[in-house]
Amino acid sequence: MEFPIFQVPYLGNGMTIALNAVLHLIIVQGITIGVISMIALAEYIGFKKSSEHWENFAKRLLNPTLIIVTGLGSVTGVGIWFITSALSPKGIGLMLRIFFWPWFVEWLVFAVEVIVILLYYFTWEKWSGLKKKQHIYLGFGYSLLAIISAVLITGILGFMLTSDGWPWNRSFWSAFFNPSFTPQLFLRLGIAFGLGSVFTSAYLLFTRQDPMFRKEALRLFGKVALVFLLIGLLSTWWYFSVVPSRFKTHAVFSVLTSHFSQHPEFFWFLNIFGVLILALFSFTALTRSVSISRLLVIPAILFYCCFITEYERVREFIRGPFLLPGYLYSNQVQLDESLFWKENGALKNSYWYSQAGNSADTTAQGVYLFAQNCSSCHTIGGLNDIKDRLRGRTEDGIYVILGNTHQMVPFMPPFSGTEAERRVLSTFLYRLTSGEIKLKAPSRFMFQKGKS
Amino acid sequence: MNKLIDLLLQKPLPDPLLHDLLFVAFVLHMLFVLFTLGTAMLAFYLFLETWRSGKLQESRWDKEVLRTFTVHKSLAVVLGVAPLLLIQLSLTVPFFTGVTLFAPYWILVIILLIISFLSFDSLAHRINIRPYLHLFLGIIALVALLAVPAIFVLVLVTAESPDQWTNIVKNGYRLNGALTFHWLFRYLHILGAALVAGGTFHYFFTTKGDPEKKTKMLHWIVAGILEQFVLGVLVFATLPKKPDYDIVIVMIVGIASAAFLLWSVFKAISKNISLKAKLIYPLVVLIVVPMLLTRQLIQDKSLLPLKKELESNAAVYEKSLKSYSQPALDNYKNDLNTVYDNGKTIFEKSCSFCHGPHADGKGVEASNLTVPPEAIASVRATRGYLYKILIEGVPGTAMPYFGFYEKGKINRLIDFLDSRLDILGKLPPIPAAISPADQEKANQIFSENCATCHGKDGRGTPEAKKFEPPTPDFTVYNLLPERAFEIISNGYPGTMMVSFSNLPEGVRWGLVKIVNDMKR
Repeated sequence: MEFPIFQVPYLGNGMTIALNAVLHLIIVQGITIGVISMIALAEYIGFKKSSEHWENFAKRLLNPTLIIVTGLGSVTGVGIWFITSALSPKGIGLMLRIFFWPWFVEWLVFAVEVIVILLYYFTWEKWSGLKKKQHIYLGFGYSLLAIISAVLITGILGFMLTSDGWPWNRSFWSAFFNPSFTPQLFLRLGIAFGLGSVFTSAYLLFTRQDPMFRKEALRLFGKVALVFLLIGLLSTWWYFSVVPSRFKTHAVFSVLTSHFSQHPEFFWFLNIFGVLILALFSFTALTRSVSISRLLVIPAILFYCCFITEYERVREFIRGPFLLPGYLYSNQVQLDESLFWKENGALKNSYWYSQAGNSADTTAQGVYLFAQNCSSCHTIGGLNDIKDRLRGRTEDGIYVILGNTHQMVPFMPPFSGTEAERRVLSTFLYRLTSGEIKLKAPSRFMFQKGKS
Repeated sequence: MNKLIDLLLQKPLPDPLLHDLLFVAFVLHMLFVLFTLGTAMLAFYLFLETWRSGKLQESRWDKEVLRTFTVHKSLAVVLGVAPLLLIQLSLTVPFFTGVTLFAPYWILVIILLIISFLSFDSLAHRINIRPYLHLFLGIIALVALLAVPAIFVLVLVTAESPDQWTNIVKNGYRLNGALTFHWLFRYLHILGAALVAGGTFHYFFTTKGDPEKKTKMLHWIVAGILEQFVLGVLVFATLPKKPDYDIVIVMIVGIASAAFLLWSVFKAISKNISLKAKLIYPLVVLIVVPMLLTRQLIQDKSLLPLKKELESNAAVYEKSLKSYSQPALDNYKNDLNTVYDNGKTIFEKSCSFCHGPHADGKGVEASNLTVPPEAIASVRATRGYLYKILIEGVPGTAMPYFGFYEKGKINRLIDFLDSRLDILGKLPPIPAAISPADQEKANQIFSENCATCHGKDGRGTPEAKKFEPPTPDFTVYNLLPERAFEIISNGYPGTMMVSFSNLPEGVRWGLVKIVNDMKR
């Protein structure tokens, strides 16, 4: 491996990336795109109708929005990058080389976004009267920029699942405008405006407002919520119709995990229930029923957040065992490299193993092979614990499973190493599972001396 | 081979361009980082001062200062994205190595920034909160914020010192000796720069012509510059390699400009005159750019040769992978075409490497196993029992759990096995004639010997259920007579089931009949 390996204790790497990424997506989709668009819309209506209520509503909502967007939204966005740099350096490094230009343009757009939102906030009082129109343009301009950001990132995310011809032709355009690009974009925008209208409704329902204005605004946001819920549902169906069957078939499992995989009815029940709650909220908002909307708006927000989490989980899980389709497995081993190591050895091609100094020790070899092959998904003692996965297996059983991971479990990469290394790793895993070996620093894969 | 290599995909821009862009982007980022840090420190200091003088109810300068924090920090973050993007391309291996060696701290940056940004912004935008709460939030926000540049410097110092990487690992992922001091001085040196930047910014933007405030800012600037002179010497003294003359010359330009700024500020204080923006702005650029250029040149000296080496190592490695790339792509194509949604595929991919493509237990891996995989073709069992085995696996064997397929797929697998092998079907009659005497003998042997593990009813005794592997339940799981006969005769390797080849053939068939008659 080109880089030293680190694993986040207990949570593991995937979950750490996911926690930050999901928080980011809830904020950027729901607030950066959604709520700010609703603010711009409210300001526009206030201007058209010369209504103080709409104007004040928009202005007051912008205050907390700005703090969340610049404090939490942008930091968690950079956070995805930070965290993957530490946990999946090769993956992110390669992605940056393939998608340099979208990322570079995204940086420019992001920079303009920040300037526009700050201007929008600080000029609210100053740009009144004749300049009010320009201020409104600024608000909608911001929404447009945020949508452009979504377009740029969607191309990159879509590539990871539906790479189209990239593995063969290495063409940027086929990678970026991959088959799931358009449906995913619509899906994300559906969620963005849908969640944005629900967030805005929550603010409307739980802050002091003029009762007549509240009903009027609630009806509008209910309308928006309903339209984008429908767009979201249609594009979900569209999205899954373009995902290759190879990957799509693991969607239900990805949500249920092995804890609930034998109860697929949970999956359908909860999803349908969630959609019904969202639809019900939209209807009660449309009919201007304040008290029932108050009851439903928090569940609606929670279900939207769950749907975002669910979608990202499905998208990231079902692409397994690939991180970059046709090029890199999820454990950061290249597809061709895996074949090369099978013949020529993984350990002797690993710079960081050669630096460790105890290369003759089989426990050291085993733990390194584990770190390299397994640790991007499995922890020792935490989530997706390898000891739970292998409990009850014989040593030769582990050896056989290791040699067939890729075909036996469709989302697992193959073991990359020689037959001898496969034997070393299986012995290590057997002794680890039976409690013979204990790690003292699991995040760096160091084992207790004297126990080896 | 043991050589560190660069990533194999081509870079999108030529190296010299990446290098120069990185420098420009970094300067812009640093400028706002310094404003952010300077503003935070200044606002906190001013809050303490206002509190001490009991003027918290009056118009609050510290809040005005802090209100600019939203702008500085937003721009610092967004301008930080470009150098992050560019350094990961141009210095891929050194940068990621610095990051991964100090991964937990690097990830912590995100949490620190969130804590600090949310706290500072709420302090700036809330009109009035209790002073103790302000103090508490302020301390948390400031400590979190000031920790961030320490981590960045840590990663950069590491990235710039490739000869220390192995030592850092051996040292338990910590910096060692001289490098620790270098890191500390560089970090404190940046805080000094932040004092100067914060003082200068607020001198021009938030003092609003108040001479008292202006003087305070001038003192603040003086303190910052003096701090930097002292720490600059220490940073220089602890540089891992002594810099060349060209680097020293650039550095002297920066120092001279800083000295000039110091002199201007002294003059402004003593003669009670205002600093002129026209003079100060270019002067700040003349300090910041040469100083960052010095850093850049030192970095280049240590990393450019390494970069060349990494790239040539990568070229060699790429060559050795060449013959594997087509097979890898072919495998990938096969993978894409293999859909695990039907019993046939699941059997072929997940089962047959042990149980054999003909379900006779003769898969390619069978010879590696002490407990041979069962010949599934000979099994007759209930759906429930098969389902249980598939979900739980069989302890003490290679048979894993298959809970990574959801219920529908497991059932499709069982359906497939049934359609192919009649696994859920009836048992055929015993193919041999058994004399009553043999059957009598078999009955006796079963209750005396076999039942100690298998139980009189064939379900297995509680003790035998804990064996690894456990005894099967003959009321729901049976084998074709020939296979059962074979196991009774030869035993089941790797399990408690021993051979009974000493019994006459007729008695063995009698045992098969007993077991198979137990099937419900």
